[in-house]
Amino acid sequence: MSLTAWIRRARTPEPVPVRREIAVFEPADLFDIEIKDNPETNPVLCCTSDAAGAAAFNALWLKRIASSGRYAAAVSVRGQGGTPAAVGGAEARAHDVVQAAVTVPRQTVLIGHREGAAWAALAAGRYPAAGLVLVSPQRFPKQLPKPVGEPPVLLVVSESETQSKEVQAVADEYGITPLTFAGAPDDVFKGAAAEGLLDAILSWLDAQQR
Amino acid sequence: MQEYSSQAAYDRGEAVCVIGAGASGLIAVKNLRENGFEVDCYERDTVLGGLWNPQNQHSPLYPNTHLVTSRSQTEIPDFPMPDDWPDYPSATQMLEYLTSYAKHFGLSEHIWYGSEISHLEPVEGARFEVVVKPAAGAAARRLRYGAVIIATGHHWAPNLPSYPGLDEFRGTVMHSSQLKDPSRLRGKHVLVVGGGNSGVDIACEAAVNAASCVHSVRRGAWHLPKYLGGEPSDYALARLASRPKFLRRFLADRILKGPKLLAERMGIETPGHGPGSEEPVRNGRYLEHVGDGSIKRRGEVARFDGYDVAFADGTEIRPDLVVLATGYQPKIACVAPELLGGTPDQPAPQLFARMFSPKAQTLAVAGLVEPGVGVLPIVHWQTHAIARWLQVRKSDPERAESFKLQVNAESSHNAAGAADDSPRRRLVVDAEEYLASLGRIIDTLEQEPAK
Repeated sequence: MSLTAWIRRARTPEPVPVRREIAVFEPADLFDIEIKDNPETNPVLCCTSDAAGAAAFNALWLKRIASSGRYAAAVSVRGQGGTPAAVGGAEARAHDVVQAAVTVPRQTVLIGHREGAAWAALAAGRYPAAGLVLVSPQRFPKQLPKPVGEPPVLLVVSESETQSKEVQAVADEYGITPLTFAGAPDDVFKGAAAEGLLDAILSWLDAQQR
Repeated sequence: MQEYSSQAAYDRGEAVCVIGAGASGLIAVKNLRENGFEVDCYERDTVLGGLWNPQNQHSPLYPNTHLVTSRSQTEIPDFPMPDDWPDYPSATQMLEYLTSYAKHFGLSEHIWYGSEISHLEPVEGARFEVVVKPAAGAAARRLRYGAVIIATGHHWAPNLPSYPGLDEFRGTVMHSSQLKDPSRLRGKHVLVVGGGNSGVDIACEAAVNAASCVHSVRRGAWHLPKYLGGEPSDYALARLASRPKFLRRFLADRILKGPKLLAERMGIETPGHGPGSEEPVRNGRYLEHVGDGSIKRRGEVARFDGYDVAFADGTEIRPDLVVLATGYQPKIACVAPELLGGTPDQPAPQLFARMFSPKAQTLAVAGLVEPGVGVLPIVHWQTHAIARWLQVRKSDPERAESFKLQVNAESSHNAAGAADDSPRRRLVVDAEEYLASLGRIIDTLEQEPAK
């Protein structure tokens, strides 16, 4: 985040505050003696443009992330799930993600799915995320802020998207090559494809930690 | 006790030593860690949070301390306060915020509590040797660091004025930092000395709790309510800076007309310059208390006389309790004043760009400014710049050279106002200008090497 960007933001009205729904799954919630909360790992915070919001991650994601020893959380931005609707565009939703990120006990990894990837990327421009994972990004902002604190970035897209201009642009922006997963970009919350995708993300996260 | 000079200094390599675990120190540790430095932070007390922690035995908090700048202008840029907090959080919330900042970024493991830095001296290779004196037990240790950042703040040494007869005064006299419990005001006849934010806040506290309250103020100041035009006033004023230049003056006059007229009605002169150039008093209740007579304003105290206090205008009162809200002396005890650009007869630091030591490349001070706006964001950008500078210094000597020239240029034009009476006013900077200068410094440090 550059100083000028901060000055600009500090001088524009803050988005209307909303009571955000945040779903949390800690390793201890699994009641599995084998799985220990590992404080060395960074927590994970997910968001998606799916209308269910945080609840979309309840089926599989949060438990899977928690079973890797990480604190797993998901946030519903304004208008999704249990969070009341309020005015504001992508910036306001990025604000929701940042506000959720600072309630997580440690420096968190941001995972964004679809438009959620755009919000996560905007949020990473003003919060020093421990990592940024973009899953099938959509409607990415043209003016992308440089991520604060230079976090590692992972771009995962479905096989059908690899050639799309949008994905290319995002990959160029961060100077990375996208990973691909089998399955449809909108259907990542359960099923075999979702398992594969999560495995890829978690092993990437583990590799960053070392 | 073992003499520290007899043992060899333990070398911490390129690690950086941060002195103080208050707001500035915590931000420094986080930004240095983010830029890949090893950090050891030393805190003389046993708790973090510095002046915001009432458990800190030197804490300067007075009853009911709240921020005088609003949340959005005070929060650390990359770690916002919860947006359901009030516009002006209390000291308790501020401590909660700093604690969660430390926890979130895992800063506690780098802090050594109960360790005071008693001495600090440059050694060869632009490095520093520090002497760490634990609060209890063990002998002092000597360590070597690649750089030192002093973040001890400037609200620790009470600035106590001397008045004739003050020592023989029969009532109770205390500095604002000693007034921890508001019940001490109850039923008393209270005299509050000092027209800064703390003096005005304490006068308001006394106005509702004490039997009577007299407020002695030496000179006029801008009195702003906490809200202007339906917005927190610092935010409203900061927003003016993003308006076109020709409109700014007009809009500022319009927005400040009300507070100015009210202050004049209460017999307070407002200084000719705008509220930006010196920290204004931000308290909306004060003028109302003056208006309903529960605070009586007087001029300067001339002398203390037994049970009585005489003012310069000849009037006398008989207070039970005198609260000296006369601010603090900026004092950095652990380092020789010469290292920070002071001279034996003028020990106040004279720093490059208000943060870099003019004598040593790897010594910097964070948070030694009074910008009249929230200090935390300023410290964030200062320590960001310091961390980048330490990186550039190592990796790119050529750029470091050109950077030094720039910092010199940046510091020359904010040296004005150095010769002033009050110690605090020497730290005053114009927030707008200082942020712009910090922005230029960071840009120079962050631009890609020209190759």
